[in-house]
Amino acid sequence: MRLFAIAWKDTLVRFSSKMELLFFFILPVLFTFLLSGAGGGQAQKSQVLVVDEDGSELSQTLLAELQKTNDLVVRVASLDAAEALFQDRKAVVMLLVPVGFETGSVAGQPVTLDLRKVSGDASADAAERVIGSAVHSLSRMIEIARLSVIEAERVRSFNTPAERQAYFMDRLSAAQAMFATAPNRVEWVQANTHGAPLDSRAQASVGQLVTWVLLPLLGTSVLFAYERNGKTLQRLLTTPTRKSTYLFGTISGQLAMALVQMMILISFGIYIMHVPWGRSPVGLLVMMVSFGLASVAMGVTLGTAIKTERQANALSIMIAQVMALLGGCWWPLELFPPAMKTVAKALPTYWAMQGFTELVLRGFSLKAILPPVGILLLFAVVFFLIGVRRFRYE
Amino acid sequence: MKKVLAITWKDIVILLRDRAALILILAAPFALTLALGAVSGGSSNQSSGIGDIPLIIVNLDRGELGGNLLQAFTAPDLGGLFTVRIGTDIKSARQQVESDQVAALLIIPAGFSASILPDMQTGQSGSAAPIELYTSPERPYSASIIRSVLVEMVNALEAGPLSSQVVVQGLITSGRLAQDPTSIGQAVATLKSQEINQTGGQTIRMQVGQESPAVQNQQPSALSYLAPAMAVFFLMYTVTLGGRSLLVERENGTLARILTTTTSSAQVLGGKVSGIFISGFLQVSVLIMASALLFGLRWGAPLAVLLLVISVCLAATGWGILLASLATTPWQVGGIGSALMIIFGLLGGTFVPASQFSNLVRAVAKITPNYWSNNGFLILIGGGGLKEIAGAIEALWIMTVLLFAISIFFARKRWASGFARK
Repeated sequence: MRLFAIAWKDTLVRFSSKMELLFFFILPVLFTFLLSGAGGGQAQKSQVLVVDEDGSELSQTLLAELQKTNDLVVRVASLDAAEALFQDRKAVVMLLVPVGFETGSVAGQPVTLDLRKVSGDASADAAERVIGSAVHSLSRMIEIARLSVIEAERVRSFNTPAERQAYFMDRLSAAQAMFATAPNRVEWVQANTHGAPLDSRAQASVGQLVTWVLLPLLGTSVLFAYERNGKTLQRLLTTPTRKSTYLFGTISGQLAMALVQMMILISFGIYIMHVPWGRSPVGLLVMMVSFGLASVAMGVTLGTAIKTERQANALSIMIAQVMALLGGCWWPLELFPPAMKTVAKALPTYWAMQGFTELVLRGFSLKAILPPVGILLLFAVVFFLIGVRRFRYE
Repeated sequence: MKKVLAITWKDIVILLRDRAALILILAAPFALTLALGAVSGGSSNQSSGIGDIPLIIVNLDRGELGGNLLQAFTAPDLGGLFTVRIGTDIKSARQQVESDQVAALLIIPAGFSASILPDMQTGQSGSAAPIELYTSPERPYSASIIRSVLVEMVNALEAGPLSSQVVVQGLITSGRLAQDPTSIGQAVATLKSQEINQTGGQTIRMQVGQESPAVQNQQPSALSYLAPAMAVFFLMYTVTLGGRSLLVERENGTLARILTTTTSSAQVLGGKVSGIFISGFLQVSVLIMASALLFGLRWGAPLAVLLLVISVCLAATGWGILLASLATTPWQVGGIGSALMIIFGLLGGTFVPASQFSNLVRAVAKITPNYWSNNGFLILIGGGGLKEIAGAIEALWIMTVLLFAISIFFARKRWASGFARK
């Protein structure tokens, strides 16, 4: 009963300010939604500005090739307008098709397109790859059309340059049509894991859950500092309450709140983001408890090293954010350099991501997630031992 | 003026003695910049850690194209993008993909070459035999890269036979070649032996540059983006702390005590505002200098950097003052301030580039100092100057004026109703 009373008191203290709801529910949901690209409409597509200074049939063909790709949103603009829009970050890439693009291509002279991209932006890099591929493909078709002109001239010359030009454009269209109707040569199959791919929705749902649940659990140290500095801890211990009851009550209260928070975020993931969280409820529950225990244990240990609430608050924000970043909560581990992938294994956030991702991607049951669960519980035991031994009640 | 300076100095000294504040003002941005830099390729120019993508290729094709494809994936010009293993057991290879030991399995089917290359006698190709690309769901980026490289390679293989068809078809329709099997067969054979390789040429080239021509001097690294973004992210915490100090003084009664002296409320507010501004300016300056010294990061033209730092600190101070003029308790300022810091960071492109958001979200992001300063710093680091960041500076100054005007409006009302003595 005392245990419950302590846990309930901590919950009341935590939610005494309505601002807590912002961190408990509103911000995690907002972050999950925005980072998943769900609110972006065309967030997965890169915005591209095209300045067509040539204004030729061939430059229109290039535009059509770019618009055909599913990864770009192409907008045609004059040079001045495009410069202004690009400066204003309305697009990540600006492509300039110079005067003489068509005549140069027909004559077999190399023509150069000027591509400018926003620095340090992954979608700009992706757009560059997509444009490069479209340009390469058009280049190949131009070569075929030129070869056609050469072969035709070998048999009989054209009467006028216009006839030659028309023949080139006709063969270019024929090459386009042939490539378009060529049989599918590559079949892309995603491994059948009976789950969802790790797309931006799944990554955001899992990653933001780990980030925003870790933050308040490390913040358990704030509660300890609050009780100690307000002398309410000493007052509590003058009653027939054992120290272990106090610690256990606080820890279980925080863990229970974390479980509620996780359930809210998982429900948001299932019903709004359509991430398949719930195919192994037992496995999910075990992962939630293991991750919660490991995180609250770290919070207890942190509570032994700080003196004031503000110190505890600042340190928990910093540590939680760094661990979330390095554990793969913000970006998939796939993008990490090899050395960082190894370093990440020393963090509970890494193992939490592994376990939760396994459940979302493959829907595995308890057996498959035993390694991450075991390591998270090991973190919990080690940090509880350190935290409880070093805990200062006065 | 002396009194204003005294209040400013007092606030800065209090801040420097506050260990908890220093953690979030200096240690946290450093730690996060380092962590972000580490996961995104450090200070190198690499945009990500993707490389050595493990891939198994099973080649069941007996023709030349299967072998060519295999060679192309292991060619040095791919710069170590893939680590290729040649497999024979499809079942075991699939299991390795499913358990994420490798990123993908590529099966080149029997008859792949025959499906593309036309028969020399008939000029016809065999039935379609597509390559199967089987990818791990845990590696969406690697899968996308393998697919685009594979499609490009297959298109190149297919270009030869397709070009023969286009050329011959053109010769026939223009009356240059008779439409009989012998003539067509001869023409295809001649093309194959003489000119087919020309289709590999690249007429159109792409010159890739960063930003505008004026800002192409330096290829920015991951840290170039992260260091300023983190500095401004935590600047919002510093200004919140400054705004909070006014309400703390009021709660502790020290504000009322100051006002019993000959110090006017305008002097107190002036001191507070300049205290917030100078604290923010010092924070960003220390982070800039430290990242320049420790990571060798070049921030760009000093005068332009200074002007941008001043502008963003003023705009952020505006937000701090607005919070202090609307909130009633220090706790409120702290809570709302932390939330604003995080929301502004997200919208302004601290964690992911703002260009990935919708137009609506990007429009909202313009109310954040982070959005303008992140853009400005990136342009300066890339080699741009004052001219290129004029828009960002203008936006920050407009923000400053608006926020100060709104804050003064609310502050006047509250001070008139005896705010300081409550």
